[in-house]
Amino acid sequence: MTPIAECLAAFIFGTTVGLLVQRSRYCNVAALRDAMLFKTYRNTKAMLVAMMIMTVGFTAFITVGAGKPMHFDVGLNTFIGLFLFGLGMVLAGACTVSTWVRAGEGNIGAVWALLFTFIGMFLFSLVWSFDYWPPAPQTMSGSANLAGLQFGFANAATLQSKTGIPAIVFGAVQTLVLYGIYRAILKRERAEAPAPQAEARESAACDAWADQPAEPVVPGARASAIVDHPV
Amino acid sequence: MELFKKTLNPVAALAIIAVLDIFLFLTIGAWTVGGGETMMTGIIARFFMGDTLNRIPFWNIAFPPDPYYWKIYISLGMVFGAFVGAVLSKEFCWRMPHRLTEWVMITFGGLLMGIGIRLAFVCNVSTFFGLTPEMNLGGYLAVSGILAGTWVGTWIYKKSLEG
Repeated sequence: MTPIAECLAAFIFGTTVGLLVQRSRYCNVAALRDAMLFKTYRNTKAMLVAMMIMTVGFTAFITVGAGKPMHFDVGLNTFIGLFLFGLGMVLAGACTVSTWVRAGEGNIGAVWALLFTFIGMFLFSLVWSFDYWPPAPQTMSGSANLAGLQFGFANAATLQSKTGIPAIVFGAVQTLVLYGIYRAILKRERAEAPAPQAEARESAACDAWADQPAEPVVPGARASAIVDHPV
Repeated sequence: MELFKKTLNPVAALAIIAVLDIFLFLTIGAWTVGGGETMMTGIIARFFMGDTLNRIPFWNIAFPPDPYYWKIYISLGMVFGAFVGAVLSKEFCWRMPHRLTEWVMITFGGLLMGIGIRLAFVCNVSTFFGLTPEMNLGGYLAVSGILAGTWVGTWIYKKSLEG
């Protein structure tokens, strides 16, 4: 594909994602935070379903050598970086997707979060070096480099080449694990809250996207509305 | 149109996105946001700094600003798609945080997200919808990190609400 065609494909994909996320009010922050804080799983279930579909699709194509998997070494920086990201997204009340989507809805707070995400990236670029950790080409050799706190590169394709077992088999195992988590959530939802309360919580969470959240119906819903408020 | 009258089930929405992401994975690469944001940062920095930006090794070696970097257009598409959805469903309106504490939290949160993305080389989208479905070792490290970070962030936020 030419660079222009790639950009066009990416824009069409992004537009579809923006539209679907806006209409469904899906939020990655809510998928994790609400599960921890309020034990509500509206977004968590959606995330798990998407991960299951993608795991099957990606590993099926990886099995036959198709697709373009990401290829770079990972290490302790991956854990620490996402730790900081997770902390930041809860404070900001939005992640990389919801900042763009809410910006498109006219949310100035989301634009502010994006601005400071850019500033954070620029600040980090000032301390980056070719020669030393934080992760740099010199420390990324493709295999484990414990002195550089790097664990190398491994994915479904390397599993297949090292074991001789098709990548789709590993993908199926991962999908089953994700499905197990999904089933456990459904079971918990059924066992825990009576249906009217669960519905009230969800609608309150949705109202939090509006400028004036509705009055809560159940304890905890007000807190949910406030937590969602920043962006 | 029904789509713009009521909220779409997020499971259905994400299922559609997942199928589209598989097509994207086959053609140019899986859905990601952090890389595009980084490139936008470089392009904006070059606009203000000019060739002085080349003195910073990161922008000279790792991420030379390039407006034809496809990941930028995923983000631009998302904001456009959301705008269209919001306008057609009559949900578009200008809104902003009212309290100073909210502005402060958004500021710190944004900074941490930016620093975290560049330190890890991945964002939350790559974590859940790229690396982990590819069964990349980085996906499991990133999921562990983001769960730990979210837990700490949630704890801090809960305390701030109570206090």
